Amino acid sequence: MKFHVLLVAFWCLAVARPGFALAAGEGDASGEPAQILQAAESDFPAREMDLPQDWSAGGNESEAPGKDETQPVMASEPVSSEDSDQTPDLDPRAYHDLVREDDADFNDAEDFTNGELAMIKVADPIEPFNRAMFWVNDKLYFYLFKPIARSYRVVPEPARQSVSNFFSNLGTPVRFINSVLQLKFQDAGTELGRLVVNSTVGIGGLFDPAEKWFDLERKQEDFGQTLGHYGVGSGFYIVWPILGPSNARDTVGMAADFFMDPLLYFKMKPLERGGLRGLDKTTDLSLDKDSYEGLKRQSLDPYLDMRNFYHQFREGRIEQ
Amino acid sequence: MKSRICLILVLVSIFCGVGMAGAALPGPTEQLRGTIDRIIETLRDRSLPRDEMLSRVSVLVRSKFDFWAMSQRTLAVNWNRATPEQRQRFVALFSQLLEDTYRERIGSYTYQNEYVKYISEKVEGTRGEVHTIVVANNEIPVTYRVRLKGQEWLVYDVVVEEVSLISNYRSTYNEIVRREGMDGLLKRMEQRIRELQAANKKGSAQ
Repeated sequence: MKFHVLLVAFWCLAVARPGFALAAGEGDASGEPAQILQAAESDFPAREMDLPQDWSAGGNESEAPGKDETQPVMASEPVSSEDSDQTPDLDPRAYHDLVREDDADFNDAEDFTNGELAMIKVADPIEPFNRAMFWVNDKLYFYLFKPIARSYRVVPEPARQSVSNFFSNLGTPVRFINSVLQLKFQDAGTELGRLVVNSTVGIGGLFDPAEKWFDLERKQEDFGQTLGHYGVGSGFYIVWPILGPSNARDTVGMAADFFMDPLLYFKMKPLERGGLRGLDKTTDLSLDKDSYEGLKRQSLDPYLDMRNFYHQFREGRIEQ
Repeated sequence: MKSRICLILVLVSIFCGVGMAGAALPGPTEQLRGTIDRIIETLRDRSLPRDEMLSRVSVLVRSKFDFWAMSQRTLAVNWNRATPEQRQRFVALFSQLLEDTYRERIGSYTYQNEYVKYISEKVEGTRGEVHTIVVANNEIPVTYRVRLKGQEWLVYDVVVEEVSLISNYRSTYNEIVRREGMDGLLKRMEQRIRELQAANKKGSAQ
């Protein structure tokens, strides 16, 4: 678990998805007028807000039965949670945050609703299909892939890391060719150097001395990024069964990368190749720290979050 | 007489100096560093029971984060369209949702000598950025966007590896508002908080 989970305290989402080390910058302002806020702030009835009054009684854990009566009736929505009949406990300090806004000497007319606010817009014309596939993948994840990965965790982590390194080393052609296609010759050189070092000193790719000793970091490139680099738009969002989130551009990219996979050129039955791919994915899943579970638990709509993440993640990669 | 004037001059200059030193606010990095150091200290302290540790961290975080500004940035256009009651409800729910999320994550965490490098800061009027690098297994660039409110620099956004985390929330939340309205969003948030709290209670009971 990385430390900035804590420092960034609340912003666990991005952290929880190390693969999604997002790199999308924020766009430009969308120019909303700033006066509304100022007007609104001054006439906030902060002391009449409909929060539970029972701040002092034991904080979050308090479940005094009488408390429900002082709380607003908000429970008419369908809920699946067991204690669905009560409004969630709100931290009293949330209330103080609001009150603080009424500081008499605080006269900050700044409007935080505008300025460098980028909205992620993803074309999703086949949303019903995508949502269905998202549902299928979700079930596959929890009832098939995750249990397999969990039992695989009996293998010590360093060993699994080596398996992961091995497959990553096999992915060098994809990254090398796409670096060249994007005329990133330095990156291509890095990838070549990594291949040489890790295949020899790193015993056939099981270890990663290239990064540890020579500071040669892996460059994430694939054909979808190459297309994006030359200005091809992402097209529409699509969720593939098993393969997961993608879009029109990256689907073409995946197909192209398929032919850069060295395993394809070994004498191997398709089933064997598939098995190795499965091992690769299972290894990565076993090394992952339950990031999908994390996303799901806190997300208001996991489908939308995943869609936005995927988009930002890919755009960020392309920009690099 | 002369010596008295001298004395007055000296005193005045001392007072001026003191006054000016008092007027010079500690910069955002300095302010943030204080809080972050205390958070690290709390995390390090293994003698603290988990609940105590969590609530101390929570107090520290809440003292430095401007949930009001964060809510505005998250809702963007829809903030302006919302009624005052909806806005207040949103700020309360949003900060609670963030807190419960973090409670859930922090539970399994143990401190492993991670630390923070403070790289640089940028201040423009009442806004600023503090650039840091969190050194764990690898180095993660984390930028805090801060605003000056009264005497305090408060965080209103955190940028991890070039991505503003508020912008993630923004995209999803506004999509939900577009489909289900502001009240629909608030209901979803309440539901999510309930589930997180139920899970956390189970976790701390174990």
